[in-house]
Amino acid sequence: MDIGLLGQYLANGIILGTMYALVAVGFTLFFGVLDVIKFSHGDVLMLGAFTGFTAFLGLEAAGVADPWVQVVAVTLVAVAGTAFIGAVIARYLVLPLKSAPPLNILLVTLMLGTAIREAVRLFYPDGSNPKPFPALLPTSSTDLGNFTLRADSVILVSVGLAVIFGLHLLINRTRLGLAIRAVAQDEETAKTMGINYTMIVLVTFAIGSGAAAFAGIMNGLYYNEVNFGMGLLLGLIGFSSAIVGGLGNLYGAILGGFLFAALQTIGAVALPFASAYKDVFAFGVVIAVMAWKPTGLIAERTSDRV
Amino acid sequence: MTDPVLEIVGLSKTFGGVTALDALSMSVRRGEIVGLIGPNGSGKTTSFNAVTGIFPPSDGTVRFDGTDITGLSPQKVYAAGIARTFQRSRLCLPLSIFDNIMVGNHGRLSKGLWFNLVRRRAFRREFERCHAQTRALVGTFSASLADRMFEPVGALPMIERRRIEICRALISQPKLLLLDEPSAGMTHDETTQLMDDILDVRQRLEGLSIIIIEHEMGVIERITDHCVVLNYGRKICEGTFAHIAADPEVQQAYLGAE
Amino acid sequence: MSRAPLTATPTTWLGLPPLAVGVLFVVLASTYAWLFLHAESEPEVLVLLAVAAVAAVIGGRTGADRALSSAMTRHSGAMNGVIVLSVVAVIFLLGTEHFPLLMLTTVLLYVTAALGLNIQFGYTGMVNFAGAAFFGIGAYTAAVMTAHTSIPPLLILVLGGVMSALIGFILVIPVVRTRGHYSAVVTIAFAVLFKTFLEVNDILGGPQGLMVGSMTILGWDFNNSPVLFGIELSFYVNYALLGATLAVVAFMFTRRLERSWLGLTLDSVRLDETASACFGIGVTRAKVLAFTIGNVMTGIAGTLYGMMVSFVAPTSFTFADSLLLVAIVLLGGMGSPWGTALAAFIVIVLPEKLQIIQEYRFLLFSVLVIAMLLFRPDGLLPRKVRDYVPGWRADT
Repeated sequence: MDIGLLGQYLANGIILGTMYALVAVGFTLFFGVLDVIKFSHGDVLMLGAFTGFTAFLGLEAAGVADPWVQVVAVTLVAVAGTAFIGAVIARYLVLPLKSAPPLNILLVTLMLGTAIREAVRLFYPDGSNPKPFPALLPTSSTDLGNFTLRADSVILVSVGLAVIFGLHLLINRTRLGLAIRAVAQDEETAKTMGINYTMIVLVTFAIGSGAAAFAGIMNGLYYNEVNFGMGLLLGLIGFSSAIVGGLGNLYGAILGGFLFAALQTIGAVALPFASAYKDVFAFGVVIAVMAWKPTGLIAERTSDRV
Repeated sequence: MTDPVLEIVGLSKTFGGVTALDALSMSVRRGEIVGLIGPNGSGKTTSFNAVTGIFPPSDGTVRFDGTDITGLSPQKVYAAGIARTFQRSRLCLPLSIFDNIMVGNHGRLSKGLWFNLVRRRAFRREFERCHAQTRALVGTFSASLADRMFEPVGALPMIERRRIEICRALISQPKLLLLDEPSAGMTHDETTQLMDDILDVRQRLEGLSIIIIEHEMGVIERITDHCVVLNYGRKICEGTFAHIAADPEVQQAYLGAE
Repeated sequence: MSRAPLTATPTTWLGLPPLAVGVLFVVLASTYAWLFLHAESEPEVLVLLAVAAVAAVIGGRTGADRALSSAMTRHSGAMNGVIVLSVVAVIFLLGTEHFPLLMLTTVLLYVTAALGLNIQFGYTGMVNFAGAAFFGIGAYTAAVMTAHTSIPPLLILVLGGVMSALIGFILVIPVVRTRGHYSAVVTIAFAVLFKTFLEVNDILGGPQGLMVGSMTILGWDFNNSPVLFGIELSFYVNYALLGATLAVVAFMFTRRLERSWLGLTLDSVRLDETASACFGIGVTRAKVLAFTIGNVMTGIAGTLYGMMVSFVAPTSFTFADSLLLVAIVLLGGMGSPWGTALAAFIVIVLPEKLQIIQEYRFLLFSVLVIAMLLFRPDGLLPRKVRDYVPGWRADT
C-alpha cells in the first residue's frame, strides 16, 4: 500500500476517532457524577444533528446564505438546544431514578432512546428518510502525491480536537470542572462542601449532551447525511469506547474513541474483500474485549462492599 | 476437645498498596465463641472475607477441621462447613422467609434438572422435609416467625431479618459460624434478645464454634470465651474479655492516641 | 395453627366457589380474546378495550381476582386443563379466518420466546437485548435447513433451538463474566452485529432475505388446509395448534422451574451474587443454564415463526424488535409468566387492531415501559411469592 492511501485512511480514522471520543466523553461524565449509564445518549446526538439541520433550513428560509455564518449558527443552535434537552432528561428521568436498581435506569434510558428515535421518524417531516446534510465547509483540496488533503477534513479534525482539548481544560482547569470532579469523587462530601449537587449534575448532562450534538453535526458534515437511526450505532460505539477506556475516566474515553476508530479502519484495510463487515468486526472485537476484561481495559473502581 | 477447629496463621490481605490485614494469627476451638473486635477499618470483615474466599488472601494459611482451605472459592469453603452472615444484611428481600433459608441449605438440595422439573412427587417429599426442618429451626428463635414462612422478608423488621440470616447460616449445620456485626442497626433491647438467641443456639448445637464481630462491648463481655483485638489490620491483643479490657494498647486504640 | 401459602380460607366471589369463578373467568377471557381477534372495525376494538378496563376495575373491587388466584393454586390441575381446552376452542372458533389465526399464533410464539427471556431476565437478572437475534437465528436455521437438507421439519424445530443455544455459547463467556451495564453492552452489540451480518451476507440472502419451507409432521404439510366436518379450515390452524403446544410446554417448563430449587437458585443469583456464592451456589453454572434455556426457547419459537410466515429478512430481527421482547417481559411483570402472556397479547394484537397505533407501536410501547418503570415497576401482573407446590398447606 502506498503512502497516499495510508494518509487517507489515517485522516478518516482521526475524524471518526474525534467523533467517537466526543460521544464517549458524555458517557464517562454521566457515569462519573451519577454512576449511571444513559443509553439514550446516541439518540440525543441524533436529536442534535436534526436540530442543526432544522436550524440550517431556517437560515435558508431567512435568506442567510453565507456558509460560514451558517455553519457557526447551526453548530451553536444544535449544541445549545441539545445541552438543554440533556439537562431536562437528567432532571426528569435520570435523577428521580437515582436510587432505583441500576438496571431500571438502563432500561428507562434505552426505551427513551427508542422513543426519541421513533418520535423523529414519525413526527419530523418525512423523518423516516435520510436527510441530505448541506456541505457547509469549503471542499477545496490540495493534492500531495496521490493523497488528497481536503479543507473540510482539516477543519473538522482541528475543530474537533480543539473541542476535546477545551473539554479537558473545562474539567481540569476551571472551578466548574473542580465541582464536577468533586461530585464524581464523593457526592456526600461535595454536598457538605456547599456544592449544589443537582445543579452540577444538570450542567454535566448539558455538557455531555452538547458534546454529543457537536459530534452529530460533525457526522452530518462528514457524511453529508443525517437519519433518525444514526444515534443507535454512534451511541453504541461511544459507549463501547467509554467502557474500553474505563468508565469514569475522561482520557480513557478519548483513547477508547480513537481505538475504536482505528479498529474500524483496520477492519476496512485488513478485510478489503469484505469491507461491509467492518462493523461486524468492530463489534466482534468489543464482545471479545468484554470477555477478556469484564470491566473494560482500565478497570472501573468497584464499590461492592461485603 | 481442645483441638482447634479453625487455625489462621499469618493471614494478610493487601489492596493495591494498602494492607487491610497484616499477618493475623488466631485459632478457634470446638464449641468456642470468639469475639473479633477493633475500631472501624481495622480488618475484621476483611479477615472474614479472606477466610470465606470472597477474595484470596495475599499471604498466610487457613486450616479448617484438619484441611487447608486457604484461597478456596466461597462455594468450597461453605461445603467445608463454614457459614456466615453479613455486616449489611444481605437477604433476598422479595423472597419469602423459607426461600431465604433454603438458599443457605443449597448444599443439601437436589439440583438436577430432571429431579426438579419432572420428578415432582420426589421433589414434594424433599420440600416437605426441608419445610419441617426450617420450621423447627426458625421456631427456636421465634414461634410467630415460624408461622409466616411464606411471607417476603422485605416486610420484616431488622431483628427478624437478622434472625433469618442466622437461620440461613445454621440450616446447613456448619461447624463454624461467622457473625459479622449482628447487632448493627438494632436497638439495645433487640440486641439483648438476639444474643440470648445465639447463646441458646450454642447450647443446642453441640460443637458449633462461632466468631463474632461486634462493636457493643456488653455483648462481647457476655457471650465470648475469648477475644482477638485488631487495629490497623494487626492483632494487638488476645485473651479473655477482662484481659483485653485492661490492656492499655486496646484502650488507646479505642479512645485514640494521646 | 399453620398457614397455607396464600389464602387460608376458600375465597368465594358472589357466593361462587373458587373453581367456578376460575372456569367462568377462563370462558369469559377466551370469548373476549376471540371477539378481540375477530374485531374488524376500530370502534369495535375501542368498545372491547373499554369493556376490559371496566371488568378489571369491577373484578378488583369485588374480590374476583382473589377468588381467581385461589382457584389457580387450589385447583391448578383442573384450571390448567380448562385453559388449554379454551385455547384450542378459540383456535377452532376462528377456524377459517387467516389473519386472526396468524395473529394468535404470533402471540403464542412470542409468549414462548418471552418466557425464555423471562428466565434469563426475570429470574436470573441477565438482560438479553438480543432476543430478536436469537429468534432470528431459529428462523434462519429453518430457512437454510428446509432449503438445503431433507431433515424432517419437526427435527428442524429442535435444531433451531440448538442452533440458537450454540451461537449463544459464543456470548456466554462475556455475558457471564460481566455484570449490569457491561453485560447489556455485550448483548446490544450482538443484536446490532447480527442484523448487520445478515444484511451483508449474500449466502443468507442479504437484505432480501430467504424463503422458508413449511412445517411437516408425519407427512402432513402444514400449508394444507385441514377439513373438519366438511368445512375447510385455514392452514394457519395447523400452526396455531403447534404454536399452542409450544407455548403450553414453555409455560409448564417455566412454572416448574420457578417452583423448584433451581428457580430459587436463579432468584438468589439475581438478587445477590456474593451471598449466593457464600452458600455454595455455582453462580456461573446458574447463569449459563438460564442463558442457554432461554435461548433454546426463543430459538424454537423463531423457527416455527419462520416456517409459518415462509419468509425471513433482516428487518424482522432488529434491535427495536429485541427491545419489544424486553418490553413484553417488563410490562407483564418480571418473573410473572401470566404477566408475560398478557403483555405479549397486548403488544402483538393491539397495534394490528388499531391501525393508528401500528405505525407508532415502538414509540407507544417504549413510553409505556418508561411509565411502568417509574410508577409500577412490578408490571401488570406482579409476581407472587414462590409457592413450591400449588395448593400445598403446611398442616396436610
